[in-house]
Amino acid sequence: MSTLTAAKRSGRLRGEPPERARRLPEWLVGWAFVLPAVALFLVMGVYTIGSGFALSFAKWNGFTPEWTWVGIQNYLDLLYADPSLAPEFRAAAWHTAQVMIAVPVLTVVISLPLAVALNSIRRLRSVLRSVYFLPYVTSGIAVYYAWRYVLEPDGAVNLLLRAAGLGSLAQPQGFLGNPATALPTLIVVLVWSSVPIATLLYLSGLQAIDPNMIEAAQIDGAAQRQVLRRIVWPLLRPITAAIVLLGVRDALHGFQIFLIMTGGGPGGHTDVLGLQTYRLSFMKGLAQTLGVASALGWLLFAGALLLTLVNARMLRRVK
Amino acid sequence: MTTGAKQCSPVMASISPGGSGARSAYRRRGGGRARTLGVVIAVLSGVLAAGCGGAGEPAAEGRALTMWTFKKSHADALNKAAGQFKAATGITVTVEAITPDDVFVSKIQSAAQTGGLPDVLELHAGGEDLEIGASGLVQDLAADVGEEWKRRLLPTTRDAGLMTQQRIDLAANDSPFKSVKAGTLFSVPFTAGAFGIVYASKEKLRAAGLDADTPPKTWEDFLAALKATTAKDPARGGLSLGLKVSQTGLNWIYQPLAHSYLGRDRFQALFAKGAQQGFGSPDGIRTLDLYGRLTPYWMPGSTTLGIDEADIAFAQGKSAFNVGGTFTLAFLAQNGMSPDKVLTFPIPPSSEGAHKEISMSPLALTSLAVTSTTENRAAAVKWLDWVTSPTGAGVVAKNSLDLPATDLGGEAESLLGPDLAALQKHFTGPAESAYEAGDTTFFPSDYDQVKPGNLLTRLTPLGEVTAPQAGPELDKIMGAMWKSTK
Repeated sequence: MSTLTAAKRSGRLRGEPPERARRLPEWLVGWAFVLPAVALFLVMGVYTIGSGFALSFAKWNGFTPEWTWVGIQNYLDLLYADPSLAPEFRAAAWHTAQVMIAVPVLTVVISLPLAVALNSIRRLRSVLRSVYFLPYVTSGIAVYYAWRYVLEPDGAVNLLLRAAGLGSLAQPQGFLGNPATALPTLIVVLVWSSVPIATLLYLSGLQAIDPNMIEAAQIDGAAQRQVLRRIVWPLLRPITAAIVLLGVRDALHGFQIFLIMTGGGPGGHTDVLGLQTYRLSFMKGLAQTLGVASALGWLLFAGALLLTLVNARMLRRVK
Repeated sequence: MTTGAKQCSPVMASISPGGSGARSAYRRRGGGRARTLGVVIAVLSGVLAAGCGGAGEPAAEGRALTMWTFKKSHADALNKAAGQFKAATGITVTVEAITPDDVFVSKIQSAAQTGGLPDVLELHAGGEDLEIGASGLVQDLAADVGEEWKRRLLPTTRDAGLMTQQRIDLAANDSPFKSVKAGTLFSVPFTAGAFGIVYASKEKLRAAGLDADTPPKTWEDFLAALKATTAKDPARGGLSLGLKVSQTGLNWIYQPLAHSYLGRDRFQALFAKGAQQGFGSPDGIRTLDLYGRLTPYWMPGSTTLGIDEADIAFAQGKSAFNVGGTFTLAFLAQNGMSPDKVLTFPIPPSSEGAHKEISMSPLALTSLAVTSTTENRAAAVKWLDWVTSPTGAGVVAKNSLDLPATDLGGEAESLLGPDLAALQKHFTGPAESAYEAGDTTFFPSDYDQVKPGNLLTRLTPLGEVTAPQAGPELDKIMGAMWKSTK
């Protein structure tokens, strides 16, 4: 025993790896760690993406063993060929575009001043930051239901408006029941849930700005407004681009809020592309619409990709 | 259902390092790499074995069944009935509810891909069952369901799961229906009922000075009653309906109303290809106008309510009238509204219409099917037979408060209770004025009722279009759907 132990000890002293470690080559250890993640990605990522893309060229109801290949017909049907699908697609695209523009713009307009204000105070900054961040933490299905109750005909918003003598602004059918207010109301809720993260991003951006730069500008006689416009805003542009991109992405892909709060109604006035994809996939009974739903998903992907490229180009220009 | 271990065993054998071939190869290489690989494979085998072991219960061929339904109330009632079935046959049935409907459908889709279907499915009758059957997921029961079995069922429900030549002919060219043989029976009707049943709060009727025991005879009387209740209580005296699901207005109110006003043939002509007598015709516009007269009487926010939410609003006293189906009574009772506090009647016919009476032909609402992957076919068919017998159906009906497709005859009142049994009176009436909601033969094969439903919502309650504007728009929508039907 003592001989073996001594040999091992001397080996270790010479800096040789222990016997066990020699038997486990590094490549295998590496693979053992990486393999689960790679396998998961191959199955859940590559396979589903590939399968989904192939499905966009087929008709299938999810049950039959075979797909019916239709080439690019699903795409053409959505864009113009199917007189039943195409008008709905166009209407949903128009609603999506409104959300896609309004949500990022309003988010920036609200969150930037909020972040500047938060950055300029010393007292209660962390408390206020937590308060403003609350909608992001609590956001989700439960919150959308809560919003529905608040926006009902006899909900809190109407009650407050009437109590404040602003009864003419109250909505007798509820804010989600009136076609004129339904989509704007959903946009407000979306902005409400996206402002916290945007504020936090801006706040971190503001705190990263070198105070000497601002101080130098102030010594040179720049007013607060000019400091904001000429120094802070350009330096925060990359963050703005990220916030805009996040908003656009949410507008393109998000459908939960529309599904829960209006279901695309009233009368189709809040139908968006994300919701239409979901409906074509799961709410068309057993019609063979999984392929066309997949095609719509890929059109959305193409849209998102395009916007990402534009965004990347903008960022490069800023740099 | 218990095949998990059987399916896994060959896979395990093929990767197991324990075989002599593997062992000799291991010795030949003699290196650490092969040994390490052996350890990895052994671990993987263990994981696979554990996974497979957990997937299935110990095989009990023919003695245990699994069943999925999309209705929680049915699952509870069916599990109670399963207890009696086990006592009678020794076969265990475990029923699981998967809700809501879209989750149920996607669960079947994924189970069909992974071979994880149960033995029996409860499906929407007259559509979903046929689609799933034509896709090869459920078995043909034509040889099992004999005349005696069929005679137990309400006549208008008997053929709900039958693939007829007419259904095959009407299907689109790329529909799976085209590959099915006429005469194939994919399901057995389980529950039945009718849409277009109005529920009125007796309390609110009395408060408005109306007779709480006499239903309105005509559409005009109904509108007058609505006028009285909304005048008494503008906020809580209206009509509730889950218009977030926009087709409810079309299916449950407009269609029965138009059917009684025009008669069967002129009603079906509204939806016909070419639409010469379509919604834009005087017939169509007149019926749309009748329907549009509801505009002042909707409960505030009806367009934002789902079906269940509208029923709950009625049960909470937020409306005086509510439209649903025969199945709504059970839901109202579950939500605290005693059946003796409501007056029920079918959508009344217009006094100016072709028919002065209306009855709702019961249609099969749900049906039972045996999956094609079951290894317990005989037991599954036995379960279907028992649960659609007067005894089994009675147990389920009593516990779910849902009307069965089985004719309970004289036992109906004792099994269902007086209130639920009373709903059955709306099923009877002159044949010519009976509205058959289950007849879909005059629609395009890819008929999507959400599209006309949305337009009707814009007619009423939104008031964005008038009847003369809505008619041609509806014709356009129907025309597009006919055109899409390939």
